[in-house]
Amino acid sequence: MTSSPDRAVLRVTDLSVAFDGTTAVDGVGFDLAAGDTLGLVGESGSGKSTTALALLHMLPAGGRITGGSVELAGQDLAALPERALRAVRGRRIAMVFQDPMSSLNPVLTVGKQLDEALRAHGGRPDRRERADRAVELLDLVGIPDAAGRLRDHPHQFSGGQRQRIMIALALANDAEVLVADEPTTALDPTVQQQILRLLTRINRETGTALVVISHDLGVIAQTCRRLLVMRHGKVVESGATAEVLTAPQHPYTKQLLAAVPRLEAPSEAAANSVPGSEPLLTVTGLRKTYGSRRRAVTALDGVDLVLHPGETLGLVGESGSGKSTLARALVQVHAPSGGEIRFRGREFGRGGERAARREVQLVFQDPYSSLNPRMTAGQIIAEPLIAHGPGDRAARDRRVAELLEQVGLDPDSADRPPRAFSGGQRQRIGIARALAPEPSVLICDEPVSALDVSVQAQVLDLLARLQRDLGLALLFIAHDLAVVRQVSHRIAVMHRGRIVETGPADRVVTAPEHPYTAELLAAVPRLETRPAVLTTRSTA
Amino acid sequence: MRSFLLKRLPSGLIVLLLASFLVFLILRLIPGDPATTLAGPDAGPQAVAAIRTRLGLDEPLPSQYLHWLGKVLTGDLGPSYAIGGQVADLIGDGLGATLQLTAAALLLVVALALPLGVLGATARRRPVAAAVRAFTTAVLAVPPFVTGVLLVLLFAVTLGLLPAGGHESLLDAPDLALQYLLLPAVCLALPSAAVLARYLTDGIQRALAEDYVRTATAVGVSRRRIVWRHALPNALPSAVTVLGLQIGHLVAGAVLVERIFAWPGLGQLVEQGVLRRDYPVVQALLLLIVAGYVAVQLLTDLVYAWLDPRIRWE
Amino acid sequence: MTALTAPAPARPARAAVRNRYLAGLLTARGLTGLALVGTIALAGLLAPLLTDHDPNAQGPLALAGPSADHPLGTDDLGRDLLSRVLHGITTDLALTVGAVPVGALLGCSLALLSATHRWADTAVQRVFDLVLAFPGMILALAVTAVLGPGRWPVFIVIAIAEVPLFGRQLRSGILVQREREYALAARVGGASRARVLLRHVLPNAVDPLIVQSAVALSVGVFIEGAMSFLGLGVRPPEPTLGSILSQSVGYLATHPTFAAAPLAATTALVLGFTLIAEALNRGIRR
Repeated sequence: MTSSPDRAVLRVTDLSVAFDGTTAVDGVGFDLAAGDTLGLVGESGSGKSTTALALLHMLPAGGRITGGSVELAGQDLAALPERALRAVRGRRIAMVFQDPMSSLNPVLTVGKQLDEALRAHGGRPDRRERADRAVELLDLVGIPDAAGRLRDHPHQFSGGQRQRIMIALALANDAEVLVADEPTTALDPTVQQQILRLLTRINRETGTALVVISHDLGVIAQTCRRLLVMRHGKVVESGATAEVLTAPQHPYTKQLLAAVPRLEAPSEAAANSVPGSEPLLTVTGLRKTYGSRRRAVTALDGVDLVLHPGETLGLVGESGSGKSTLARALVQVHAPSGGEIRFRGREFGRGGERAARREVQLVFQDPYSSLNPRMTAGQIIAEPLIAHGPGDRAARDRRVAELLEQVGLDPDSADRPPRAFSGGQRQRIGIARALAPEPSVLICDEPVSALDVSVQAQVLDLLARLQRDLGLALLFIAHDLAVVRQVSHRIAVMHRGRIVETGPADRVVTAPEHPYTAELLAAVPRLETRPAVLTTRSTA
Repeated sequence: MRSFLLKRLPSGLIVLLLASFLVFLILRLIPGDPATTLAGPDAGPQAVAAIRTRLGLDEPLPSQYLHWLGKVLTGDLGPSYAIGGQVADLIGDGLGATLQLTAAALLLVVALALPLGVLGATARRRPVAAAVRAFTTAVLAVPPFVTGVLLVLLFAVTLGLLPAGGHESLLDAPDLALQYLLLPAVCLALPSAAVLARYLTDGIQRALAEDYVRTATAVGVSRRRIVWRHALPNALPSAVTVLGLQIGHLVAGAVLVERIFAWPGLGQLVEQGVLRRDYPVVQALLLLIVAGYVAVQLLTDLVYAWLDPRIRWE
Repeated sequence: MTALTAPAPARPARAAVRNRYLAGLLTARGLTGLALVGTIALAGLLAPLLTDHDPNAQGPLALAGPSADHPLGTDDLGRDLLSRVLHGITTDLALTVGAVPVGALLGCSLALLSATHRWADTAVQRVFDLVLAFPGMILALAVTAVLGPGRWPVFIVIAIAEVPLFGRQLRSGILVQREREYALAARVGGASRARVLLRHVLPNAVDPLIVQSAVALSVGVFIEGAMSFLGLGVRPPEPTLGSILSQSVGYLATHPTFAAAPLAATTALVLGFTLIAEALNRGIRR
């Protein structure tokens, strides 16, 4: 703790939070000086978000501060009654939440919501004065035509704009401390970059102290001078960001840093498998439009793609670029509007689709919603076997046990429901299901983006091993360029329904040819980009 | 808004058309010939045949239907078979009173459900929420015709505050008319108010668990304002849908309530029509109710779209 | 890095799924509801053991208060009230327990039909709209206008009234569940459309229907009562809760005991079903 105590605007001492008797936060403490920035980093279940909510004394039902204090300029918020807290929230300490979709009221105009925030603290009795201030705030966070947009509703703004509006709400009453809980997790990389720059600019220009909570070390590295690493409700390490990142002391921090994929690290795919030369899956001029003819939305606008046996092709692009639509066309749940797909040289619609139906399988992003909650793991994995293969129950049971073993799960766990497994284990079930009909192509649609970094590394290892053992071709769809570079032989960049660039993984990352690729690369928050980190070191 | 209306209007008209055909059909397909009934037990076959021809009953069904529909659309509902007089006049006599009753009940439903719903969702003290809950449960667990009689017993017989039944014109004696109106309207409104209050409570509780309420709390908006200005507007659209369905139940319930309180509305006409198999009367009334229902549904959709901006702009 | 085994969960899947309903029912609310419905139903079923009186036999004592011979007194025609109420319970339960599943089955079949094709969906929705356009008593009036008063019209009205309620509920459940990723995963895995619908989507969409059934049973009791009150229900002298109540209503001021037993039975039944529905609802949401 380097800042002198008298300048601390927020001082958290030995803070503990319990949910119905279970400790979620255990003795967390830190000082935050006026205008300073602090990051809280940790994986899911580390207690970082609970800590954030405890700072405003806004714990969800069942949660209780069991010890310690949160002193805001000398006033202990942990001991304050609800009525007094109301006067503090938004006025002296404000918060920005993760999901800008659900965090704004869908039926109130943006102007109305800003007005509510402004009148909550009674400083501006005049309606017109509040409206002026609302325009000023929207201007500050970079919403174009601020005055004209006060009467619009949240759904009329993009995800990034909504997050800007959230920040405007938090800034409405010139709070001294701004707590941002995973402020960019739901956003695309380029938008994330803009929001992080906005937060940094606000910190610099208005002197608002910033607490950023994130699972992403890159986000913290870019925005915060100091950071706390949390695990199981406790702070395991704290210090200046540059120091913690370059010379981690605690083994957990070291492990965390090692698990983060680095954009600078070269592709590991070549060491894993050598792609065959004969194309397995060929996509030519694929188009897909949705909606009526009058209001057609183009999702795929002439996509060309080749996938070889044993190859990993990374497909990157932001939300709405058409990645998922392409994946769904390949597994034949959506019929394309034009163009052709060939599998083993045979066109879809002329025999190729029949083989592909079994041999092209999909791994989903969300390991929670993609498994039927009413079935056991064994039943879920057996489903494709029932559809594709003859064979009796006993044969299926044997194959399920084999598949579970293959993805690193206990074969005896086949009779358990999905919710008895952790996120990473569920993703393994999803992979086992995809492997069941012995595919030659796995389409992985953001397979690790819902997972913690350490679990992510394990699942990536599993996929690599499966490719090595089974000679699978992978179409690896993701938005995280570092992950994609690590696993891919080649990378294809998708933008507005087109593939704008394809090339060897290392070349696309180090020497992008298309300006959009360069833009994507520039948006990746890097652990090493902070000017404070002057020590050069090699990436492991 | 106009395109929204244009999208909803056809399905409403289809329902109306289907209903009209159904209403026409079921009353023609039943055993028992209206001509025989109308002619009376002593009439000879010739008299029956004459009545049959006069009523157009010997034409094929589709042409009977079109003929009937054409007349209905021009406002000619024909003569009543059993009750006597023109159907249009009979309906005209009762319509005002029934509309008055349902409108009053509708007002009461909203006036009761809104505070009850909000109270049920937000009462911090458990006894208050439990009391609201017990009240709505009790109202829903007692058949409405029993509630009506209990109301009469309490307010008219025991306390003598209000008349037990009857009707007075609003124009001639407004204060008396309101006294007559109060008990039947309350009786009609209570079950629907309880249903609506429950949906509101549920909707507000859901909204209070949403992220945007957390946002409002974090900027320092007071609890009361959060409930009324942030959560309630999100619960209203689906409550309006429920209210739309409840209006149908108010009209249906009016038949019962009018019986209990001797209210001179359409309820008694329906009852008489059904029991005496007076088909033109029953047909016209059923059609009227269905048309009313379709209109209310359209209105509900419009209000829903007006309350929920996400739909308004699509 | 590979052999990560899940910590052994306590229960196998099926038991856990069933337990959510059980967990809901095994609360104060659920148990009260079960006790209420159970007691009333049992009393109705055991009617021949509990009373010797013929429910339709008229006696000389009209509107008598409770006595040793007539524990609940007699009605306006001198018939034994206990016997009438007990037999009335049986009639009511037989009607609702018989009619609600018929309506539910019809509604659910239509909802499944609507999931097969866009045109089928439009048609089915218009059918639901059409039935809803005849709310409660209006439907009763329309049906009795055709069939005349009696037991079957009551049965038919209760069944038809439930069709759109169950159907819409299931349809919207199917629409939500069908868009979930596990349904997509089943399709990618090669399951047929029918299998995706019946094996994957349907089991996840039926939860609200269980709550709806409990609500439907109480609505059935109401419909029977209201139809009796208007003289459209089961024909006299056969007792139903509704018919006894509507007779007693005329004597509420002078002989309140007449109405007490049928009212208590009706209220207990409806209250019981309501409590069970709420308890199930909470169990599911948990």
